[in-house]
Amino acid sequence: MADQGGSAHGIARTSRVRTEEQRKVELDKIAKYRELEDQVRSGVARGDTSPGLFQLTSKLLRLNPEYYTVWNVRRRLLTSGLLSKSSAASSPLTVSLTASPTATTTPPSAALSSSSLSATQPSPASPTAGRSGTTADSPAGEGKVSAADATPEAAAAAGQKKDFDVLKSELEFTIPLLLDSPKCYWIWSYRLWLLQQVIDRLSVSMARRVWQEELGLASKMLTRDRRNFHAWGYRRHVVAQLESPRLGGESMVEAEFEYTTRMIRMDLSNFSAWHSRSKLIPRLLDERGADDSTRKGFLDEELGLIREALNVGPEDQSLWYYHQFLILNLVNPVGHPTLTPAFSLEDRVTYVTREIQDIKELLEDYDDVKLIYEALLEYTLYLGQLQGRKLDGAEKDELAEWLQKLKKLDPMRNGRWTELERECGLVEMEAFET
Amino acid sequence: MSEKSKTLPKELQLVASAHVKYIQSLDTRKDEYEYWLTEHLRLNGLYWGLTALHLLGHPEALPRTETIDFVLSCQHENGGFGAAPGHDAHMLSTVSAVQILAMIDAFDDLEARGKGKAQVGKYIANLQNRQTGTFAGDEWGEEDTRFLYGAFNALSLLGLLDLVDVDKAVDHVVACANFDGGYGVSPGAESHAGQIFTCVAALTIAGRKNLVDADRLGKWLSERQIAGGGLNGRPEKKEDVCYSWWVLSSLEMIGKTHWIDRDQLIAFILRCQDPENGGISDRPGDMVDVWHTLFGLTGLSLLEYPGLEPVDEVYCLPKSTTERILGK
Ligand SMILES: [Zn+2]
Repeated sequence: MADQGGSAHGIARTSRVRTEEQRKVELDKIAKYRELEDQVRSGVARGDTSPGLFQLTSKLLRLNPEYYTVWNVRRRLLTSGLLSKSSAASSPLTVSLTASPTATTTPPSAALSSSSLSATQPSPASPTAGRSGTTADSPAGEGKVSAADATPEAAAAAGQKKDFDVLKSELEFTIPLLLDSPKCYWIWSYRLWLLQQVIDRLSVSMARRVWQEELGLASKMLTRDRRNFHAWGYRRHVVAQLESPRLGGESMVEAEFEYTTRMIRMDLSNFSAWHSRSKLIPRLLDERGADDSTRKGFLDEELGLIREALNVGPEDQSLWYYHQFLILNLVNPVGHPTLTPAFSLEDRVTYVTREIQDIKELLEDYDDVKLIYEALLEYTLYLGQLQGRKLDGAEKDELAEWLQKLKKLDPMRNGRWTELERECGLVEMEAFET
Repeated sequence: MSEKSKTLPKELQLVASAHVKYIQSLDTRKDEYEYWLTEHLRLNGLYWGLTALHLLGHPEALPRTETIDFVLSCQHENGGFGAAPGHDAHMLSTVSAVQILAMIDAFDDLEARGKGKAQVGKYIANLQNRQTGTFAGDEWGEEDTRFLYGAFNALSLLGLLDLVDVDKAVDHVVACANFDGGYGVSPGAESHAGQIFTCVAALTIAGRKNLVDADRLGKWLSERQIAGGGLNGRPEKKEDVCYSWWVLSSLEMIGKTHWIDRDQLIAFILRCQDPENGGISDRPGDMVDVWHTLFGLTGLSLLEYPGLEPVDEVYCLPKSTTERILGK
């Protein structure tokens, strides 16, 4: 299975021999860990729902954030007591039970009255309190029910305030763990679950505030590791939620496009940022209501940007993938969201021909960069397909020359070059020449 | 076993018996902290280790009855398996359980002493999102094409693929495709070799391999081989032995394994062995682990390194297992 957890990536091989002293220290560490684990397990078995058990899970997860079952224990503790019971209002079952037609349009937690009051037990100190001095120590129980909250509206508001505090505190709890283990699937998944709770339990404006901050976290993670695909995926998810009607959102495509521009400026070879950009463009142009000439201008600008980048870094695959994305838009407009639907065949041919010409010029400075030859090969074949014609003799000569170069510069992929040579009908031609 | 490779120069020899010993030693390391920290991977680890032993030609190196007992001890009432006793049920450990039982021909024990195949099938099928076709890892809802592939893998081994909406799942995989021919973790995500494997293998199990843009994907995958012979998982990343599986199995499924340099990859994997204590690491000189040991060996097996049992590129099981169960 594609689960990379628990495997040793990038840790230097050392001898396993331990001194007796080291062994004792390790055994001691194991005993403490297992004792903690036992406490959590027996608490769960007893049906304990106390903050005490909750704190033990914090301790255990700090030692081992991969322990998915303990994350689940924590979820169950939250839903069975530490959070108000009000989220049930958003489940289909409860919606069908509430006869009032207005009930479904009320924020979920407000749709319940007396039951949320009874569920809003006075909360003890923050369930995540523990490590000294972290924000997780801030009390999450400020939303205590008091006599003044006795009206259904006030109780609902208090319930929401309490849930807000609990969920915020939980979100804080995962931050240091994420910073330590940015590739741990279980932490990301727990965090997403929390954020779903935020949507289900809090008012739109409160939920929006929380999700807005998530975008900041996604940016922070991407500053630390620009290629972390968990963080990129997370960012996409956060943006999609912030755009959704459930959070009273609107399109963020302009801002996100801007973000990819910034990331690319910082580091041209950020494939993830280029990828993200390619996914945003079709929507961006649609939402701008771009007309044909604007679209053409946009394509020109993108081609200019990528060509400039290629002029300095032609050995960078990320750049070529983005260039390929733009070219595919020209040669294979069917089945892809296309940038320039109004382009005539002639326009497309002109553009591809011009790109091929420009790439050939790159060879003047970089005649030993194999990606250049690869692009030339590919685009020349595209051009033939686009025009529905066989390649002419001059083109075939070029193809043969580039393939020879590729075989020399990139012998690892000789199987591919030989196959391509055969497919292009170049093998016989060579036989003629010799 | 590795007799056939004995004629090769020393640096090209597989230290097969050291690997067997290494895998056998894994469950005896209870005095190491790491052993306890990785309990959430115990069933996966057993699958990785056992598959490696089968490929090395030593299926008997772990006792069969104890293996079955342990697997069944991880099963929950709902049919799903947790990583170890006391761990919650999850798709990943459930798939590992099915793969292990398949490998040692123990589905009868699952029927007689466990909760039965049908219950396992039900657990997995319930994790499908019937709207989008994809699968969650457990009741808490995280979705990923890894889980979709796992579901297809296990259900088809159990002969229960008809419990799920295969067409919807296929549509979802297609929605994860990118212009470069690769696949991401969800629609919109960048191509990643691990995800490519799960998507192409899922399509293969569904009989829909025709939906793969084999030419473009083949190019992308073949570019994963970098100087030094190893494969990386995405552009501009470092090489890593486990991609000898994700990339190579995908190339194999689309018939393009010959697009990379076989000998250089073999040499890279062999350089990652710990010649004294056995096991294979992600890169030369790093700590070994059972995950990279398996994927180093599956890579070598796909490259037809002498003396290894053939591996099934779709199921990551010995070919003899999938032939027995699926009649492939
Ligand atoms: Zn790896």
